[in-house]
Amino acid sequence: MSFDWWTLGLQTVNLLVLLWILSHFLFRPVSEIIAKRQAAATDELSHARAARAEAEAARDAAQARDAAVAARRAELLTGAQAEAESAKRQMLEEARKEVSKLRAEAQAEAQRRHAEAERALRDEAADLAVDIARRLLDRLPETTRSSGFIDGLAQAVAALPEQTREGLGAEGPVPVRAARELSDDETVLLKSRLAEVLGREIALAVTADPSLIAGIELDAPHAVVRNHFRADLDRIRQELLRHD
Amino acid sequence: MENPLSLESLFHLGPVPITEPVLVTWAILALLALGTWLATRRLSLTPGKLQTVLELFVTTIDAQVHDTMQREPARFRALIGTIFLFVLVANWSSLVPGIEPPTARLETDAALALIVFAATIWYGIAAQGLRGYLATFAEPSWVMIPLNLVEQITRTFSLIVRLFGNVMSGVFIIAIVLSLAGLLVPIPLMALDLLTGAVQAYIFAVLATVFIGAAVGEQTPSASASSSAKETRP
Repeated sequence: MSFDWWTLGLQTVNLLVLLWILSHFLFRPVSEIIAKRQAAATDELSHARAARAEAEAARDAAQARDAAVAARRAELLTGAQAEAESAKRQMLEEARKEVSKLRAEAQAEAQRRHAEAERALRDEAADLAVDIARRLLDRLPETTRSSGFIDGLAQAVAALPEQTREGLGAEGPVPVRAARELSDDETVLLKSRLAEVLGREIALAVTADPSLIAGIELDAPHAVVRNHFRADLDRIRQELLRHD
Repeated sequence: MENPLSLESLFHLGPVPITEPVLVTWAILALLALGTWLATRRLSLTPGKLQTVLELFVTTIDAQVHDTMQREPARFRALIGTIFLFVLVANWSSLVPGIEPPTARLETDAALALIVFAATIWYGIAAQGLRGYLATFAEPSWVMIPLNLVEQITRTFSLIVRLFGNVMSGVFIIAIVLSLAGLLVPIPLMALDLLTGAVQAYIFAVLATVFIGAAVGEQTPSASASSSAKETRP
């Protein structure tokens, strides 16, 4: 067995050189880059923590804002609800008043229409009654439809004021309308009865007017004396309508 | 067959004979220097695959040193890492045809053990002072001083002989099998030699860590690591 001391020395030097080389080219740069990465990671972590704290603060602020907004919203909702309730009550009150007013107007309109209808019915009934009376009187004898009214006419003329009676016939023949053409006898009777009442003879201008139904009408310029059914029925009708 | 214990010089540089282990060590040295220079030229905070491997290697060395010594590993990283890397590459250089690993020679192993021995004393004195370091030889009693002194020598020799014996025997066996059984038969033995080389590199580095750790301060974790390292020895 041999041992080469030169080789031992050279190998020792070689290993020391290798130690320096690896320390310089391998271990130092690699450990430095690891340390840098750890420092960067620590720095990033601290930044992340700061960012997280900032984000949490922002989140808290946002939550506070949300809460404030929610409170404001609730307040506005409550106010809006109260306002809506008030408006609703006011609208209901107005609607109720409007309905009452419309109802009153409708009732008044209904009453007015009812009154009009009733009045129309009464007019119609009155006209019908007059028409019935006229039809019934048409069945009476012709003589009774004129001669029977002569006395009544004379009494009515007698009831006139004296001045009016004196004026009758002063301006010419007095117009007389009868329900039909008067016969000569009836004309003579009429003249005689008027002469008795007036105390003088007056001239008469007798004409036929079937609308009188029955009776005679004296149409002087200053006085009208009616004694016929037409006038009676008109009076009855006026009375009926007046009492409605 | 060549005597594995004899060493012939290839040439001389002046009076200095250059032997094969020295030449192979220079080649390994150049290879590692060039490789690490190329690998660490462009280190960045976002590592690539190669940088990740380098960082994994360094952090593993750091973790091993820290676990064994219970100390900050930065001061010991370069020495332990260099020992491990050199022994590993030297052991695995046997895969190159015609190359005998430098660690199969006593001189290389002795150089390694010498460096570990010197580092033990250096770090011990640096950590505890000269008096404190010398006082560790009288622990637990002054009676133990001779035994502790002898232990310093014997454990250094054990480092030499362990590495030399394992690597040299592997090379020797492969050479014998190769001469007897032809081309392909030694391959399983070469694979086993790879494993043995890696294990020996690890053991050498761990024992160096344990010895230095014991010198910088006797601690229970160092002792337990030492015993566990010795248990893994083949």
